Amino acid sequence: MKKFLSLLVVFALVISLFSGCAKKEAGDVIKVGWIGPLSGDQAVWGQCESNAVKMFFEELNNNGGLLGKKVEVVAYDTRGDGTEAVNAVRRLTSQDKVIAIIGPNSSGQAIPISSILEEMKVPDIATVATNPKVTVVDGKVKPFNFRICFIDPYQGAVAAGYAIDVLGFKKAAILYDIGDDYSQGLTQYFEETFTKKGGQVVAKEGFKTGDVDFRPQLTKIKAANPDIIFMPYYYKEVALSAKQARELGITATLMGGDGWPSEQLMTMAGDAVEGSYIINHLDFDDPEVQPFRNKYKQKFGKDSEINGYLATDACTLLVEAIKKANSFEGEKIKEALEGIEIKGITGNIKIGKDTHNPENKEAAIIKIENGKYKFVEKYAVK
Amino acid sequence: MSGFIQQIINGLSIGSVYALMAVGYSLVYSIMNFSNFAHGGIIMFGAYFGFFFMTLYKFPFSVAFIASGICAALMAILVERVAYKPLRDRRAPFLYFIISAMGVSIFLENIIIATIGPTFRTYPEVFSAQPIKIGNLAIGRIDLTMFIISAVFLVLLIYLIDHTKIGKAIQATSFNMKASALMGINTDFIILLVFGLGGFLAGLAGVLFGMKYTVYPQIGNITLKSFIAAVFGGLGSLQGAVIGSVLLGIIETITSGYISSQYRDLIAFVLLIFILVVRPMGLMGKVTEDKA
Repeated sequence: MKKFLSLLVVFALVISLFSGCAKKEAGDVIKVGWIGPLSGDQAVWGQCESNAVKMFFEELNNNGGLLGKKVEVVAYDTRGDGTEAVNAVRRLTSQDKVIAIIGPNSSGQAIPISSILEEMKVPDIATVATNPKVTVVDGKVKPFNFRICFIDPYQGAVAAGYAIDVLGFKKAAILYDIGDDYSQGLTQYFEETFTKKGGQVVAKEGFKTGDVDFRPQLTKIKAANPDIIFMPYYYKEVALSAKQARELGITATLMGGDGWPSEQLMTMAGDAVEGSYIINHLDFDDPEVQPFRNKYKQKFGKDSEINGYLATDACTLLVEAIKKANSFEGEKIKEALEGIEIKGITGNIKIGKDTHNPENKEAAIIKIENGKYKFVEKYAVK
Repeated sequence: MSGFIQQIINGLSIGSVYALMAVGYSLVYSIMNFSNFAHGGIIMFGAYFGFFFMTLYKFPFSVAFIASGICAALMAILVERVAYKPLRDRRAPFLYFIISAMGVSIFLENIIIATIGPTFRTYPEVFSAQPIKIGNLAIGRIDLTMFIISAVFLVLLIYLIDHTKIGKAIQATSFNMKASALMGINTDFIILLVFGLGGFLAGLAGVLFGMKYTVYPQIGNITLKSFIAAVFGGLGSLQGAVIGSVLLGIIETITSGYISSQYRDLIAFVLLIFILVVRPMGLMGKVTEDKA
C-alpha cells in the first residue's frame, strides 16, 4: 500500500510537471529561432545577424508584441557547419518549439536542414543563402524553406553581365572554392552568362576551404592573361588571394559577390582590392537604409554587416506573414509567406509561390575606391 | 618556363613553413615516440603572442619574434608538465598520450575563441607587399625572409643536435630512455628541453605564418599537413622532416599548376600513401617499431 501511495505521489508530481510546461507554452510568449555561426570563420556575420534579430524583436515587444504575444528569440551557434545547423534546427523544433526560424547565413548550412523543417512543419527564412538548392531542388519547391536574398544564378549572372556589357571585358578567369556550394553556384552561372554573351573564360581554378596559399592557381591564371578575375568566395580568402595575385604581378580587375563586403576586408587586403567590383544585395549609402544603419551603430557601437539588414528584412517578412495568417501555426505561416509582398530595407520583396525566392530584386554594383566601398549603380542583368 | 620556376618558388616557400612546424613534431616523436597533436595549439599561441606584442606593446619585429618563440617554448613546457608528465610517471600506454594531446589541442583552440574571439586578425605590415622581381618572376619579401629564417634556425637546431654534448644527450635519450637515465643523463630535463625547443620553433613558425596569412584560432589545423610531411620524411628524423615538408610543398604546387588545382590534395596524398607503402619508414626514417 505504501508503495502504491508513493507511486501515486510520483505520478501526481509528473503530471504537474507536464501541466506546468503546457501552461508556459500557452502563455504570452512565443519563440522564434535563429541559427548561424557565432564562432569560427563566419562568426562576424552570425554575430551581426543575431544582434539584428534580437534588436528587431526587442523593439516589436516594446511596441506591443505580435498578435498580443511577446516574442522570445532562441539563438544557436552553427559554427558555419552544415551538421551543426541540422542539430541546431532539431533542438529548436523539438525542444524549444519555435514557430519559425531565421537564418542560416549560408547555403552549405541551409540546404541540409530542409528535411527536419518538413518533418516538424516549421518554416525557415534564410538570410544570405544564395544557392538555388536552398528552396528548389529538381524543379520542385521545398515547402518550408524561404529566403530573403536573391539567388546565385542571379548574382553570378549579374557579375558576368556587368563585366562584359558595362565594363567591356572579354576574357575572364575564375578562382573558386571547390568545397563550397555557394562558390560553385556563383561560378557556374557566371561562366554560363559570360560565355553566352560572347566572352571567354580563359582559366578556371579551384581551391579548398581552409587553404591560405593560392599562388599555384594564380600563377596559372596569370599565364592565361585575363581582363578580370571572378572571385566568388568569402573575405578572408579574398584578402589572401587578392594580395597574392598582386604579389605575382597580376593587374586584372577583381570582382566578387556578397561574400566580400566586410569591415575586415580593407584592413586585411589593403591596396590589393583597390578598383575591384562587388555585386551585393544593397548599398550602405542608399538613403533608404540609413535609419537601420544608425540604429544598429548606436546600439552596438559598430556598423552592421550586410547580414544585419537582410536578417531584419527576414524578421519583417515573418511578422507580416504571421499577421496575414493570424496564426502561429507553421503550416499557416508557410501559406501566408507564399506570394507575400513587403517593403524591406533591402528593397521591395515579393516572395514567389513556386520558388520561395524574392523575385526581380535589383543588385547593387559597388566599387572599391580609396579603401572605401563606393556605390556605382543598381543593375539587373538582361 | 618562367611559370614552372615561379611554381617551384611558390612550393619552396610553402614547404619552408611546413618544415618549421614539422621539426617540432619530429623532435618530440624521436624522444617520446608519440605524435604531439598539441603542437598546432602552440603554433597558434605563437601567432597570437607575436600579434599582441606587435600591436598592443608595439615591440619591434625582431624582439616580438624572439619573445613569441620564448613564450611558446614556456607554453610547450607547461603543456608537457600538465598533460604528459603525469602520464609518464604512471607509465601510461602511448595511446593515452595521443588522446591527451588532442585534448590539449582542442582546449587551446577554444580558450582563444572564448577569450580573444574567433575573428581574424592581421599583423601590421613589417615587410613591403611589393615582391622582389627578377624578370617575370616574383618573390615575396615575406617568403624570402621566412625561407631564410627557417633555414637558419633549422641549421642551428641540427647543429645543436649533432655537434654538442646536450645534443648527444638528446640523441641518446631518443635511442633508449631507460639506458640513458642509467648512464646519468637527466632524461626529465632532456624531455623539457625537447619540448622547449619544439615550442620555440613552433612560436617562430606561428609568427611567420600569421604575418604571411592571418591570425585565427584554427591556424593550428595547418599542422595536419606538416605532420603528414614529417611522416613522409620519416618521423623522428629532423632532416627527413625538412625534406618531406619541402617536397610536399613542391608536389602540391606542381599538381595544382600542371594537373588540376581541384585534385591537388587528392594527388599529393595518394602519392604520399604510395611512397609510404613502398618505404614505410618514410624517406629518411630509421627502421623502428611504430608507436605513433
